[in-house]
Amino acid sequence: MAESPTATQERLRVVGRRLPRHDARDKVLARTLYAADWQMPGMLEGAVLRSSYPAARITRIDTSRAAAYPGVAAVLTARDVPHNILWTDVPGQTSIVGPLRARVQVLADDRVRYQGEAIALVAAETREIAARALELIDVAYEVRPGVFTTEEALRPEAPRVHEESNLLATWRVRCGDADEALARAHVVVEQTYRCGLIDHAYLEPEAGVAWIDADGVVVVRASTQVIEHFRDVADVLGLPHNKVRVIGPYVGGGFGGKEDVTVEVFLGLLAYRTGRPVRMVWSRQESLLARPKRHPFTLRYRTGAARDGTLVAHRIELTADAGAYAYLSALVLLYATVTAAGPYRVPHVAVDARAVYTNNPPTSAMRGFGAMQMVLGYESQIDQIARRLGLDPVEVRRRNALGRGDRLPVGQELDTHVAVAEAAERAWAALGPPRPPSSPRHRVGRGLACNLQPYGRLVWLRDWASAWVGLEADGSVAVRTGVPDVGGGQASSLCQIAAEALGVEPDRVTVHIADSALTPLAGTTTATRQLYMSGNAVLVAATHLRDEVRRVAAQILETPVEQVTLADGAAVAASHRSVPLGDVVKECARLGVPRSHLGVYHAPAGDPVDLERGGGRVFPDYTFGAHAVEVEVDVDTGAASVRRLVACHDVGRAINPQSVEGQVQGGAVMGLGYGLMEEIVVDRGVNLTTSFASYLIPSALDVPDVEPILIESGDGKGPFAARGIGEPPIGPPAAAIANAIEDAVGVRITDLPITPEKIARALGLLSGG
Amino acid sequence: MPAAPFDYEAPATLAEALDLLGERGPEARPLAGGQSLVPLLTLRLARPRLVVDLDRLHELRAVRRTPDALEIGALVRHRALERGEGPLALCPLLQEAAALIGNTRVRTLGTLGGSVAHADPAAELPAVLRALDGAVVLRSTRGERVVGAGDFFVGMLTTALAPDELLTAVRLPLPSPGAGFAVEEFSRRAGDFAVVAAVAVVELDGGAVARARVALAGVGPVPARLDRLEAALLGERSGPDAIRRAVADRPLGIEPDGDIHASAEYRRHLAAVLTTRALERAAEAARGAVV
Ligand SMILES: Cc1cc2nc3c(=O)[nH]c(=O)nc-3n(C[C@H](O)[C@H](O)[C@H](O)COP(=O)(O)OP(=O)(O)OC[C@H]3O[C@@H](n4cnc5c(N)ncnc54)[C@H](O)[C@@H]3O)c2cc1C
Repeated sequence: MAESPTATQERLRVVGRRLPRHDARDKVLARTLYAADWQMPGMLEGAVLRSSYPAARITRIDTSRAAAYPGVAAVLTARDVPHNILWTDVPGQTSIVGPLRARVQVLADDRVRYQGEAIALVAAETREIAARALELIDVAYEVRPGVFTTEEALRPEAPRVHEESNLLATWRVRCGDADEALARAHVVVEQTYRCGLIDHAYLEPEAGVAWIDADGVVVVRASTQVIEHFRDVADVLGLPHNKVRVIGPYVGGGFGGKEDVTVEVFLGLLAYRTGRPVRMVWSRQESLLARPKRHPFTLRYRTGAARDGTLVAHRIELTADAGAYAYLSALVLLYATVTAAGPYRVPHVAVDARAVYTNNPPTSAMRGFGAMQMVLGYESQIDQIARRLGLDPVEVRRRNALGRGDRLPVGQELDTHVAVAEAAERAWAALGPPRPPSSPRHRVGRGLACNLQPYGRLVWLRDWASAWVGLEADGSVAVRTGVPDVGGGQASSLCQIAAEALGVEPDRVTVHIADSALTPLAGTTTATRQLYMSGNAVLVAATHLRDEVRRVAAQILETPVEQVTLADGAAVAASHRSVPLGDVVKECARLGVPRSHLGVYHAPAGDPVDLERGGGRVFPDYTFGAHAVEVEVDVDTGAASVRRLVACHDVGRAINPQSVEGQVQGGAVMGLGYGLMEEIVVDRGVNLTTSFASYLIPSALDVPDVEPILIESGDGKGPFAARGIGEPPIGPPAAAIANAIEDAVGVRITDLPITPEKIARALGLLSGG
Repeated sequence: MPAAPFDYEAPATLAEALDLLGERGPEARPLAGGQSLVPLLTLRLARPRLVVDLDRLHELRAVRRTPDALEIGALVRHRALERGEGPLALCPLLQEAAALIGNTRVRTLGTLGGSVAHADPAAELPAVLRALDGAVVLRSTRGERVVGAGDFFVGMLTTALAPDELLTAVRLPLPSPGAGFAVEEFSRRAGDFAVVAAVAVVELDGGAVARARVALAGVGPVPARLDRLEAALLGERSGPDAIRRAVADRPLGIEPDGDIHASAEYRRHLAAVLTTRALERAAEAARGAVV
């Protein structure tokens, strides 16, 4: 099994410092050239015609009027796409529906399966002409019956979304004998939960520019989390993979929404067809309408516990609405299945999970990726068990918390520190003494929720990342790695890691990121993997380089190599004699010693495991945390507001505590929006929430100051023992709020979002009204 | 998406503006603060051929006081109302209502005339107009007319304004000095339109209600006056118990529709809660004011 490399220098000089990010200033001054800001001479504007119906047959498409409209350069339909299918392979799908090759049609051929599905593309001289051309495309539909809930879709006589069954994927876990244990349990809590369809709602909508360069390579500069979609663009165009290049500029928010292909393939098609640069920028309405969203789940839990609150069994049934196309649904469902019992020791667990096709908007990756939806289930359950048994909520969690060496129900042994109990205690304690309600018509309550979230991809995907680190003759450092920076400070943290290893200040390091032709590939910025994976790759490369440099410096300084350290831009001997790093680099050049190194990091790898038969390792590792909230409820209107939110996570080590706290605060706020407000409302396949006036995300005035607490256990699989923190903080808030509401007013809300109306209804304020 | 193309004119005088609307009224849209019109344009829900920017019409920024009323120019901004600038301080109800509109950015640009002409069913200022039995002054090349609030609001986003008319001013009768007032509202998110808002004005005679007026926003296509409740409160004691009973004892006579933010049933519930709270606070203020 691969081990993470560790730095041998004992005292850290750069890692752990609160450094302003090198990209921050340009962003604040509006100098960053985001994807949509790119302009080229002769550039056309691209646009997409989208389906008006969620389920229909296309009987005719007439593009002649659009094509003839002055200023229109190209109109493309499915017939013009060389290979009209995008594939996602899902290895190890052990379900009854077999291994999955998830496919999406690039442009609809004769069927549309959700409202907003792409039907045709236009490139024109201006956005206005492109918009006009879309109106001139004539599409005749024959509306078909669709399926709009998972229950409907699973009925035997239900219309099929695709040729195959509407049951898209299933996973099962069997650990011990859940039914028998439930029959013997002192207390059993049974409850069904529902969590809603939500959107990533990033500031920057999907955008990019494509052109053909001087060597005939199709270049796509797009807002993406995955520059390696160059392969998809090439496959669709029928070009060799090395004839397509994707450049990833700084991204204005991804959260999983830019993990699947968005504009890249459309841009490639239009640029290739017209031979001219083409820009495409989706409007907010288009973004909210057409791009895959978070899976809504129905979670059915039966949970048994002993008299003292010890959990003995879970029987869990999960149903996820995958919408009209598979995308990453099978994997999202796997994350849900693996984490459904929570960060607790539960000897008997049965999980049956399924993902179902419907004619709703497709669902795929979003921060938390299936694991975060489970928190509402397991944390509401444990809270109700504590309540039934009259036990303290912190005590019940402490008693059941997983520890190092314990196994998850899927059989994976936890081989790093597990900080669940500590996080719960610290978050709860930080709430401090209770504060009185703000009026006689308000009640105050507190709630807690813990979680676990994998970091790094499934071990059977055999994930790896590479990075190139080089020293220049003046002692400055260049890092090249194919990391898309989605705003989380990915590039900045790599500076810190390289600076640490090579004994220079971070401003002596320049990072070149996210160019599939020019930077060594580092994989996706998803799955809380980028600091973990590319951080390790940079550390491998920089550590190797450091050792080369120290050898040469030892010769110059005439001292044993073990006594040479790199610090403050110089190689320093034990005698404090030193030589500037630049001089050592020049000496390396004279001696023919390499001044750069390509580092590769391989994550722990394994074969797909059978989750039903004991399983084994599924993910490299997990991040654990707990959030505590204080909520106030208006007993007349039902409105709940969060007055305090403390978010505690074990991050192993904080490379840049300021960036880590930013991730924690941003994640917690997103989790709060998920808990209280956000909902894509779809009525028989028709999206009613395609603007930010109807799709509500919290504003700064709706959230309290999120108080982050970073536990640095010094144990984790990332560089310098860091653990991933990108996704974990979105998990706990919704469940913590639900628990706090019960504490405040005695009603248990099981459906997200927890709107004032749902609370009012649960309080009996609306009955008979 | 940017707005569909349109012609743009920024006349320097009211007369020029009225001439433009007289010629091209049906295909033109006046632009005041742009806080409602610009979103409509970029969403392409409105596609006027001509936009007539009112920004240079300083004559529509005046505030005049008559013995028992305020006449407020259409271009007076929400922010000025909120701050109670100049004679606007005579109607603190406007201050309280305007402070609840959107956010600071919206209030800095949005205008009284724009809000009233736009006639969003959830807007505060039309409800204030309704509660105080106000009126609007409408001008065109054909002349001037004054329309009472009850007749001006016709339907959802629909008013008695003709295509060639401008709303030039709002007339608000001032409540008697001893009147108490309150605005109570409920919104799902800070800075959003209210789901339901209640405006109450209460005048007392001794301990009893001499006159009560309640207008609601968000419970129908136009701001609603609760006539039956107002009548029932006449002569009642002004304490919280009497008010609660009066609200609970009879249907409010509203028929809200449900939408994605609130069902009809929940809106009715909110209307009762907010009406009660607004009346209670208005009555308390009136008791304080009398002494
Ligand atoms: C984020 C946000 C939140 C908001 N929240 C609220 C809220 O909570 N409560 C609320 O009441 N409003 C709210 N608004 C709307 C705001 O109050 C607007 O300012 C108001 O509705 C319109 O005023 P305006 O001056 O911006 O008019 P514009 O947007 O310029 O015009 C609106 C309409 O009125 C017409 N019009 C404008 N002036 C005249 C005139 N003098 N004569 C004839 N026709 C005219 C225009 O042609 C247009 O049809 C919000 C807006 C935003 C963007």
